Amino acid sequence: MIGFIKKDLAIIKGNFKIMGLLIIIYALLSLFGDMDISFIIPFMSVMIMISTFSYDNFNKWDAYSISLPNGRKNSVKAKYIATILMILVFSLLTIILSFIISYVNSKNINYVEILIYMLGTIFGTLLVLTITYPIIYKWGVEKARIVMFIVVLVLAILGSLAFQFIDFTNLAKLITIIEDYLIIIIIAMALAMVYISYKISQRIFMKKEF
Amino acid sequence: MENILEVKNLCKKYDNFELKNVSFNLPKGMIMGFIGENGAGKTTTIKAILNIIKPDKGFVKVFGLNIDQDDAKIKEDIGVVLDDMFFPEVLTPNDINNAMKGIYKNWDEKMFQDYLKKFSLLANKPIKTFSKGMHKKLEIATALAHHPKLLILDEPTSGLDPIARAEVIDIFQSILNDCSILLSSHITTDLEHIADYITFINDGEILLSKTTNELLDNYGIVKCNTADFNKIEKKDYLRYKKSKYEYEVLIENKKSFKAKYDITTIDKITLDDLMVLMIKGEK
Repeated sequence: MIGFIKKDLAIIKGNFKIMGLLIIIYALLSLFGDMDISFIIPFMSVMIMISTFSYDNFNKWDAYSISLPNGRKNSVKAKYIATILMILVFSLLTIILSFIISYVNSKNINYVEILIYMLGTIFGTLLVLTITYPIIYKWGVEKARIVMFIVVLVLAILGSLAFQFIDFTNLAKLITIIEDYLIIIIIAMALAMVYISYKISQRIFMKKEF
Repeated sequence: MENILEVKNLCKKYDNFELKNVSFNLPKGMIMGFIGENGAGKTTTIKAILNIIKPDKGFVKVFGLNIDQDDAKIKEDIGVVLDDMFFPEVLTPNDINNAMKGIYKNWDEKMFQDYLKKFSLLANKPIKTFSKGMHKKLEIATALAHHPKLLILDEPTSGLDPIARAEVIDIFQSILNDCSILLSSHITTDLEHIADYITFINDGEILLSKTTNELLDNYGIVKCNTADFNKIEKKDYLRYKKSKYEYEVLIENKKSFKAKYDITTIDKITLDDLMVLMIKGEK
């Protein structure tokens, strides 16, 4: 399986320059302006990983990957692991950079705020992975873009309807109750949703023909 | 003789095409040429053998194991070149080497590098800069560099110039002691020289699967006029084609034909003749 991860990372190695540029832009905006765009860095790492699907599809890698040992299982597993690795590495980089910027700006590092902000960002990127990957495995990258657009639109409409018609006082109360466990709950939720997404993707790919 | 590959009654139905009970066996240490016109079912059969598509019926056994149950074990020992180019174009041969090290237990880095040198392929150049022939050579090097016991090659020599083709065919022949090969190709002259067996598929059906010697020695083309053609019984020929001046009649057994009929012009057959007459000839 490591070979499949290496192949995906080799495909995106050209994009690391873009990631470097993004990190520089983030640092400059944070140091000389008042904008925090740190969330973009982990999100971009997922977007870059999604581009590997386009290469696979365009170069007909998928059919070949099945002819390799345990190809059906390992190529899906590797895609998820490589993406999570990318998210974690770039989140860690962003956290370290945020600490430095925070220190330079205010001579004081706001550890809790930065870590909670990044935890939220990581959760968001994992949510993108959770929703997008099974759609890509089912319909391919091109159709997945349309499906993703529809999903985001539906979620946005449902969200705005929810804010209009649902009383969130109880939810706020619930959050206060579980406050101490919130981080653990978020991590558990993230792990569960990624695992379910992986299982769905694997099921789709196991049946797929090329 | 032990069969390395056993294909039995494979069926797969699509809207506009169907594999119909495809069966053949490849004995150990042999090369089988898999021939047929475009769209005849060669690639579909190869994909079914490799589990890239799931057959509706039938089974495939490789090294005596069922491909559905022992997929990983079997594929450790198979080298594959598919019809379409399949390496992501931004990768380099070095990237392929690194990836394959983590995929095949038997990956032989030195052997891979040796093949790259032999084929004059630069290890650090992106594949997108390669010609079609260079791309094919890289695929062949990758298929060979983990010491496979079975090579499944779909049009491996397409896009290669005659010198490279000869070089690749020499390599195939040189590894034969340890390896069996299923080789689909349009370049039938290559197959006449190296294939021990020929399997011929047309419209999703296997028309014949025989040793090359049996085919080239026994089959023949009778060239005769209308009067002579009318004397030949239907059961004594496979197909015929009528041209302006003569009939070309494909027969299965030159010896018995000569004994029965007083027709002396029987030409040796080539695989190209066989394909053309079997597909375009009349019954």
